[in-house]
Amino acid sequence: MTDDGFDAPVEGVGRVLGTADATPLQFWAAVSPGSYLQLDDVVVTRRELPDREPVTIAGVVTQVRARHEGAQFDSDVFAIADGTLPAQVQEAAEVTTTRVDPEFYVPPTPGAVVHRAEGDARARALHFDRMERRIPMGMGRDGVPVYLNADFLDGTRGAHVSISGISGVATKTSFATFLLYSVFRSGVLGGDAVNAKALIFNVKGEDLLFLDHPNARLDDATRAGYAKLGLDAGAFPDVRVYAPPRVGDSSGTPDVSSRLTGVDSFYWTLAEFCADRLLPYVFADADDERQQYTMVVHSVTAHLARYAQPADGGVSIDGVRLGGYAELVDHIVEQLNDDETRSEWAGSAVGLGTVNAFARRLIGSKKDLGRLIRGDLATRRPHSINTAESAQVTVVDLHNLPDRAQRFVVGVTLRSEFERKEKAGTAKPLLFVVLDELNKYAPREGSSPIKEVLLDIAERGRSLGVVLVGAQQTASEVERRIVTNSAIRVVGRLDPAEASRPEYGFLPPAQRQRALLAKPGTMFVNQPDIPVPLCLEFPFPAWATRVSEAGHPPSQTLRSITQTADPFAVVGSAGGTDDDIPF
Amino acid sequence: MTTPGARFYVDGWDPSYGASFEAAATGPAAPSSAQVETDAELPAVDWRAIDVRPGVRAPNVVLLVDGVRRIDASIWTAEEDGGSFPGVAASYAAGVVRCDLERGAAQLAGARVGRGLFTASPSAQEVVAGSIRYPVHRVSGTGELAKLPTAVQAPLTALEVAVSDAARTDGDLLVVDGPLRSRRNLPRTLGYIKTQHSQYLDARLTAVVTGLASGQRSPVFRVGTAWGGWSWYLRLPVLAGAPWAGIVRVECSPDLDISEAVELADLSLVTLPRFASTPYKDPRAPQNLIPIAGLERRLRALLGDSRLLHRALTAAARTGTTRR
Repeated sequence: MTDDGFDAPVEGVGRVLGTADATPLQFWAAVSPGSYLQLDDVVVTRRELPDREPVTIAGVVTQVRARHEGAQFDSDVFAIADGTLPAQVQEAAEVTTTRVDPEFYVPPTPGAVVHRAEGDARARALHFDRMERRIPMGMGRDGVPVYLNADFLDGTRGAHVSISGISGVATKTSFATFLLYSVFRSGVLGGDAVNAKALIFNVKGEDLLFLDHPNARLDDATRAGYAKLGLDAGAFPDVRVYAPPRVGDSSGTPDVSSRLTGVDSFYWTLAEFCADRLLPYVFADADDERQQYTMVVHSVTAHLARYAQPADGGVSIDGVRLGGYAELVDHIVEQLNDDETRSEWAGSAVGLGTVNAFARRLIGSKKDLGRLIRGDLATRRPHSINTAESAQVTVVDLHNLPDRAQRFVVGVTLRSEFERKEKAGTAKPLLFVVLDELNKYAPREGSSPIKEVLLDIAERGRSLGVVLVGAQQTASEVERRIVTNSAIRVVGRLDPAEASRPEYGFLPPAQRQRALLAKPGTMFVNQPDIPVPLCLEFPFPAWATRVSEAGHPPSQTLRSITQTADPFAVVGSAGGTDDDIPF
Repeated sequence: MTTPGARFYVDGWDPSYGASFEAAATGPAAPSSAQVETDAELPAVDWRAIDVRPGVRAPNVVLLVDGVRRIDASIWTAEEDGGSFPGVAASYAAGVVRCDLERGAAQLAGARVGRGLFTASPSAQEVVAGSIRYPVHRVSGTGELAKLPTAVQAPLTALEVAVSDAARTDGDLLVVDGPLRSRRNLPRTLGYIKTQHSQYLDARLTAVVTGLASGQRSPVFRVGTAWGGWSWYLRLPVLAGAPWAGIVRVECSPDLDISEAVELADLSLVTLPRFASTPYKDPRAPQNLIPIAGLERRLRALLGDSRLLHRALTAAARTGTTRR
């Protein structure tokens, strides 16, 4: 009897290996000659069982290797390349199981044919078939769309996105904006998408100020990529950009350099500052809650809320009219230094050292916050950030602001948005909050009013329809409760030291290594449905990300802030809704 | 105190393989009984080492054939008359390596595995052990156990011929591991003998052979035995050492003219040294050629795991799957 030493050509892409353990959760497959498997390819194999229906085991390739079989020594490679030693190049792929259907955890049989999963089989392997609403996130390595389960984004079963990666290469903000674009434009959320709002904080450069400008470098290939994902390539249609007022400019023009039209300035009036109790947000340093002087902060806040009266843009306290933040600070410090009024402002049991610590910090904030808290501009001029009344996408530019002012703006804006949602009491319409450098606002150590707001959003935002899309260089430095509450975790290129931290435990070892050399535009997305993070590339933004890319501005950006205010509205009616009787 | 004596050399081969020169029981000085015709290429008085002839190029494709065999189990049959015959269940495999020197690729161009139950028992039936079949190869004579392993050689040689036929192309050179024997009629074929059992040449001509430098050959001579033919010695690249270190004997068909034989000898001199193995990688270096060593490894792997087969045979014997 003779039998042929060679296998008949295998249909499919390979066979399950028998020289390494095949387990229900991970197995190796030898790749047939003439075929190949690359990382992230989706494969499927079947296991026949004696007394029941066959089990389909699907998985994602998480490692591939090639070696010379028949070579014993490293130097044998030269003899092999020289054509004297016969050897076979054998490739093998490690497959991490993503789905076992029906759920009957048996290992695949060594020798079983492994097929490349395409079409419905691929969708089943990646659980896309179980997703009722699928938001396209980008292309897999195989050039086929990869989806996000909308249930885990809009709060139905989970919410919040955490994006980590080195700044500059990881394209965290671009991915966050692409995700928003996809949510708004894919039609997956149906009517909710129309009403859903986004609040984006721009912390670096003027990158995000051109979301409503088409990208002049958009080519047909990129358009085709968008089409493949079921999206039109275009800019965000409805964007409102806010920037802080210019320093020292009494007219309050927005402080931007590249975008000249369609930018509104935002600030708070002294009256709002006092009435809305915004003072604690001035003291937003991480460890301030533990300091003694926070007692003073709260009693001064209460005092301001009780006694400050709006007076022609500014406020008047104890009969003194204050026309700016600096004046307010000076007045408070003066009152605190006065033995007669100190206990009235700071409470009776406070030591002089504590009062001085407060006063020192308050005086330090004058320079940073003077341009944001105003008493010199017309009261009826719209100046507040309110996503409910703003466009679909609201961009708040922070990049020109010093650190303390950034924290103040983020803290106050998020609090007012969150309180508004709390009052509304319904999850719809959704509000997406995009915040980069989350480690600055919600650091792992210490506590601050801003961190409390962010924690509130992370823990209760899901039911209130506030979805936090947080980005940070290092997830290990962000408050753990925020990271753990994020249903969707995204990783771009990581720092090698950072990649080994337990926060990235969801990445299998091979992907952790790959994250060290991920190209810009490549992200690893982990969602609760799928046990393996998916590697994807999202398309080049169809909107401008810098002034050099910006195409023609949309016509509505030409409007100025004064035109948006109704010239016929009655003075003092504060925006004037239709329900109010105008006179 | 050591007295100055003859220099000594350590044989390159691993001792378990014997020595590369074994002049068998007749002793190293005793000449082979075969008729040797030494005047074919050069007159015997004129014998000298021959270098590579200028202008001879190695063929682009060299095929190397080898076979391996393994006894999986020794068995005893129970005959109806109460007697018993020994037998062996053997696996054997033959393969061809196609060394495409131009492309720099050595491939297994064909490999076949055969198995058989070798016994003189008249009643033996084929053995089925698991998914493996051992068809009966009936051995004539008394079939003592000691002689059975040599009985495997015939089907193995047949298998080698079959695989090498399938892989031939024009202009190639086929190198057979071992003497040509029944394969003398294959065209452009060399027999490659790495172990020297007989001394065909007289002492003076032997000195020419042991005096060969690396990459030189002896003149072609003719061995007049039944399996004889044109033959020459060749020294593979080897560090200076024992007189017979790196010496192999190559033979070709006796049906060829002397000029064709000399042509093949020149061709072997440019082809074979390239395949010589290195000592630390191969216990039989340099004679055991790299492609042959690689092929043997592959073929052994094709034979299957011996423990597994032994277990399957034992189980088959117990359940009586030996069909009667």
